[in-house]
Amino acid sequence: MKIYTLQRHLGNFGRTIILVFFMLLVVLPIYWMSITSFKTNAEIINAQEITYFPRDVTTENYVQLFKLYDYKGMLTNSLIVSVSTGLCITLLSILGGYGLARYAFKGKDAMLLFFLVTQMIPGILVIIPLYVIFSKLGMINTRLSLFFFYLISNLPFCVITMRSFFERIPYTLEEAAYVDGCSKLTTLVRIVLPVMFPGIVAVFVFAFIGAWNELIAGTIFINTSDLWTVPVGLKSLIGKYDVKWGVLMAGGVCALLPTAIMFAFMQKFVVEGLTAGAVKE
Amino acid sequence: MVIAMLAIMTLAFAGASAEKQETKLRFIDVSPSPTRQEYFTNTFDKFKQETGITVVYESVPWDDAANKLTVLGASNQLPDVMTTWAGWLGQFTEAGWVVPLSDYIGSTKGEYASTVTELVWKAEQELYGNIYTIPDGMMVKGVFVRKDWAKEVGLNLNMKKGWTYAEYFDAVYKLTDPSKNRYGTSFRGSRGAFDPLFVYLESLNGGSAYAADGSSLMKDQEAVDAYKKWMGLYLDGCAPKDAINWGFVEMVDNFCGGLTGTLINDSEVAATALANMKDEQWMVMPMPRSDKDGKIYNTVNSPYAYSISSSSKNKDAAWKLIEFLTRPDNNIEYCKLTGLIPIKTAVGDDPFYGPNGPYAAFVQQLNDPAMVVPVAFGPFNYTDMHQGMMHEEMQKYLLGRQDAQTSLFNVVNELEKRMKAYLAENPGSAVEQPKGLL
Amino acid sequence: MVLVVLYIIGVGVVCALGMVFIRRHTKGRPTALSNLAAQRKAEPYLFLLPTMLLLLLMFGYPLINSFLMAFQSYKLTAPTKIRFNGLENFQKLFSETDIWLIIKNSFIYVVVSVAGQFLLGMTLAMALNKQFPFRGLYQALVFLPWSFSAFVIGLMHRWSFNGEYGVVNDLLMKLQLIGTKIAWLGTPGFSLAVVIMAMIWMGIPFFAIMILAALQSIPADVYEASYIDGCGPLRRFSKITLPYIKPTVIVTILLRTIWIFNSFDLIVVITNGGPANYSQTLPSYMYTKAFSSYDFGLASALGVLLMTVLVLYVTVFLKATNYNKAGNF
Repeated sequence: MKIYTLQRHLGNFGRTIILVFFMLLVVLPIYWMSITSFKTNAEIINAQEITYFPRDVTTENYVQLFKLYDYKGMLTNSLIVSVSTGLCITLLSILGGYGLARYAFKGKDAMLLFFLVTQMIPGILVIIPLYVIFSKLGMINTRLSLFFFYLISNLPFCVITMRSFFERIPYTLEEAAYVDGCSKLTTLVRIVLPVMFPGIVAVFVFAFIGAWNELIAGTIFINTSDLWTVPVGLKSLIGKYDVKWGVLMAGGVCALLPTAIMFAFMQKFVVEGLTAGAVKE
Repeated sequence: MVIAMLAIMTLAFAGASAEKQETKLRFIDVSPSPTRQEYFTNTFDKFKQETGITVVYESVPWDDAANKLTVLGASNQLPDVMTTWAGWLGQFTEAGWVVPLSDYIGSTKGEYASTVTELVWKAEQELYGNIYTIPDGMMVKGVFVRKDWAKEVGLNLNMKKGWTYAEYFDAVYKLTDPSKNRYGTSFRGSRGAFDPLFVYLESLNGGSAYAADGSSLMKDQEAVDAYKKWMGLYLDGCAPKDAINWGFVEMVDNFCGGLTGTLINDSEVAATALANMKDEQWMVMPMPRSDKDGKIYNTVNSPYAYSISSSSKNKDAAWKLIEFLTRPDNNIEYCKLTGLIPIKTAVGDDPFYGPNGPYAAFVQQLNDPAMVVPVAFGPFNYTDMHQGMMHEEMQKYLLGRQDAQTSLFNVVNELEKRMKAYLAENPGSAVEQPKGLL
Repeated sequence: MVLVVLYIIGVGVVCALGMVFIRRHTKGRPTALSNLAAQRKAEPYLFLLPTMLLLLLMFGYPLINSFLMAFQSYKLTAPTKIRFNGLENFQKLFSETDIWLIIKNSFIYVVVSVAGQFLLGMTLAMALNKQFPFRGLYQALVFLPWSFSAFVIGLMHRWSFNGEYGVVNDLLMKLQLIGTKIAWLGTPGFSLAVVIMAMIWMGIPFFAIMILAALQSIPADVYEASYIDGCGPLRRFSKITLPYIKPTVIVTILLRTIWIFNSFDLIVVITNGGPANYSQTLPSYMYTKAFSSYDFGLASALGVLLMTVLVLYVTVFLKATNYNKAGNF
């Protein structure tokens, strides 16, 4: 008994150390970014002295970000594109992942290989032909082009991931439902999905972030600045000779908020999904 | 379901593209900022009032501009009017993406300042056979110096008198003071590092880089010694060790941030300096004079010149827009905003560019009869060298992996090879000559 | 325009034909049972149809085109001189003086980044697997590195590791861990290390999220049984945890390796491959070459090379980890 509790305590202590380590690893750079966003440009590039807390706290960078650079517009664009990409991909990968996990069929391996190969193609070799196709379809400079591009670039990974989540769920779960007379679709929705919830949420988050962060397609497919997504807009703060560090950091920090909120909620859903998955053997 | 979706969308967009034909021009800005965007959109409104032509303002962040134009060019979708950086012209002309402008300019040539006609356009004609760009404003290089540091170490710098390369090197060494965490120069080690070095080597050859047959003039002992002297600035500690990988941003940031004492750069940087430093801290000296013939060798170009793309379907309208943008009143307004020097002679005497303003050193050089523009790398495409070997060879020497002669010769040999190939493939062409305003 | 519509229709036709072919193949006598069987046989294809359609549409043409271009002399600056030139592009590739340095860098970059992300991500996931106060808030913060755009991370690192005004040197000196400033981005070896650090920082949340999701679907009763049986933590880890998460781990490592191998944005932003190609990898080299020499034949050849290496890697990796056998329990 005593050894057991000692082990327990050691485990907790070790866990705490690890958690503190990772928190520092993540928070320190973000702290640095945040305080930079409150400094004046002169203080930022001052090479003789590095301040760990702004000497002259200023909100000028944030004001400029929203007033001068239309950050709200960038956020809107990014949100629209990322949310729709996330939803669409989640739907398609549930279908695709299920198909890959539960069936053995002709061409399955070839399909898998094809999915993987699409991840290996260097981006620039894809962008130029796609640009031609999109421009013929009149899709250039629309959010639709970004939606499509993010859809196809993140889809293979999400399908494969979803498949691996499906594979972990024992088939007995579904069998029990069939025996009770449920149809395939009902089984999928009523029984399997709730158990899969952690995985589904994870895939949505990945798809969302894959679209949220992307830069290159954003610069190529969009021409006018009113449709810029957040990364492209922030990139425009890098000029030939100077970088608007303060505004850039402010923008970077603000871009974290939607994803931080998502991560916080993700935890809630994951826990709920866990308790809903019990199967009485 | 998805197929149906796709089909509907295809049809919808197919329909959408067959709209009424009104003249619409696309203009792309490769270095956007809120100020520039505001200026251009206002000017385009004025343009629409005068001519009825709508202009759409497109932009792309500077860092990705070259790539975007490549994609647009490869898919034949370039905007009607492009702002182009001079370094891209070799590629653009080879790929046939820009349209010659001499016919459009025609008789209005006389309206342009001599810096444009004698320097920029003559060079373009020699290099590419025709004029392809209308400069948006002129900029020249100068040496930004920490006035206060110079005073402390007893350097007497006089802008009107100028200085020689020997004096410049001397100043850099004097301004270096490790105890105060001060370095003499913002040494550029990354992309573009070879540019100022090339100019320095050309200053020893009257501004030329090649003999008439295309062989390089930089393969003698004098060139190797000069190369070593230039690199000595880094190796002797006049620049931080990190500088071996410095680009523009680090150079400017470190000068404005108080780490380095001198910075060779274009007049555009004056705006950054004005914003970040106090007046008593900095001044601008003209480029150093050659130790050999006393002339100032300096590059003169425009940062974002206007050009018409070959994919444009409204070339005449595009020319109208360029004409409008370069009209003296619009041009002066633009140049003041962006820190450039106007391109038309009818600018009058604006005190902004007077002898006591921040641009004094630049204007002085442009009016100096002893200023010569050395030749460019060549009429051939050298972008891959500029992105790679030119600075990589320098870095190898600084890291001690190669000796000076090998590093220098690797680059100039390749340049010579391409120059000779170009001359052979284009009979009747000749090596570019340095240009002066006289 | 016509060409594009034809292309889309073509892909759709191929998919439809495929389905018809399989249907016909599986139809025997038209009884109720074999109809059901046929329907069942077609089901997986239906599930995957939208995905395949989209992917083929978007990737099909570029894939074929790139493959063709790799064997052509395809320069944007010489549009009239496009012709097949066999293996010339590949020869040019291997005659680049620093090519072996670049290949070595790619290898180090991928191996160290993946190993670092995996180990750290796994540690984090296991630490998160137990409930503790404010776990939601903690999770919201600790996963944030993943949500930064690569260029923001790159820029931050470029700035922080600057030898002169960077905060890293300042901290290290204040903590008296080093005596003089290190020129992080200017020293061979160190520049690659900085890029690797940035990549690891960015990728830890990815592994952590995936492994956490896998860990949290291990049924609780299995663990309870192991406690009752008196299993020590180490045995529990290797006999229960690992097998359960093995499929996820394999997939994650596989995909992440492919991505990291192909990534270049961090390198281009932080060091631009410098100094002297000491932090240049194959994809960043390709990126620079493609957009500076306009030689798309060469860039495609490099792309084909990258894809070949990755396909080999995938095959070997899957075989070695017995992927198809894992997950059946």
